[in-house]
Amino acid sequence: MATATYPPPPPYYRLYKDYLQNPDSAPEPPPPIEGTYVCFGANYTTSDVLPSLEEQGVRQLYSKGPNIDFKKELRSLNAELQLHILELADILIERPSQYARRVEEISTVFKNLHHLLNSLRPHQARATLIHILELQIQRRKQAVEDIKRRREEARSLLKEALTILDGQ
Amino acid sequence: MDIISQLQEQVNLIANLAFNTIGTLQRDAPPNRISPNYPEPPAQPTEDGTTFSEQPKLMSTGLVKAAKQFDALVAALPIAEGGEEAQLKRIAELQAENDAIGQELQKQLEAAEKELHQVQELFSQASDNCLNLKKPDVN
Repeated sequence: MATATYPPPPPYYRLYKDYLQNPDSAPEPPPPIEGTYVCFGANYTTSDVLPSLEEQGVRQLYSKGPNIDFKKELRSLNAELQLHILELADILIERPSQYARRVEEISTVFKNLHHLLNSLRPHQARATLIHILELQIQRRKQAVEDIKRRREEARSLLKEALTILDGQ
Repeated sequence: MDIISQLQEQVNLIANLAFNTIGTLQRDAPPNRISPNYPEPPAQPTEDGTTFSEQPKLMSTGLVKAAKQFDALVAALPIAEGGEEAQLKRIAELQAENDAIGQELQKQLEAAEKELHQVQELFSQASDNCLNLKKPDVN
């Protein structure tokens, strides 16, 4: 069994020989990539946005619009899913050769469900951010109170020491 | 696990139950009599384990339970009304408040450090005087 050694380090390490003495003598790292790039023969993009259902070629079952009522749509999609499963069972009993369309509709409902859930993620991210900010504000207020209290205590101790010294 | 992941898991569970149900029933169903010309199909020997007639009931109760669980999870979603703009506005407010508190914290911190230095100075003077047995300064 043959084992291979690790590949050698990239040859431009020699350019950084005097980095400690003079940081400007060595080249800068390459700037971050923007837009699309090719990695191992596949195309990737730097902006990760959820593609809408139409772009994936799936019919959109829930109502479009600026503000979607997620709970209502999720519940109605769930009911529609159950209905489709029942229809599939019925059609398998009576006309078993026409199952394909029902199966396709069931898969469309599933794709809609998952797309809705994925579009909830940005909302969740913002809610998490709000929560973190509130926690941080609370901690800072607590710290301000603590510092004020300690300063008062120190000041009173000093006054006390002063009166004791004056009394002598 | 956070609730959206739970919802996604529940959707996948419903999908699994659905195709398990349909697949099992389709695989195990006894032959059906279609035309009156042919005799009744021979009765199959009883299956080992659960009787075949109970399986649709069991599986459909499983499906309905999973669907109810999904509805319960949807009801537990903590979505505040208002959507994206309301959230962004709240984030801006919280950031402003955070900055103000941060400034005050910074001020308090600097004042406290100044006082600490003063106290340390006084202490070093007092200890020097103690060492040299002079009368302590009154300041």
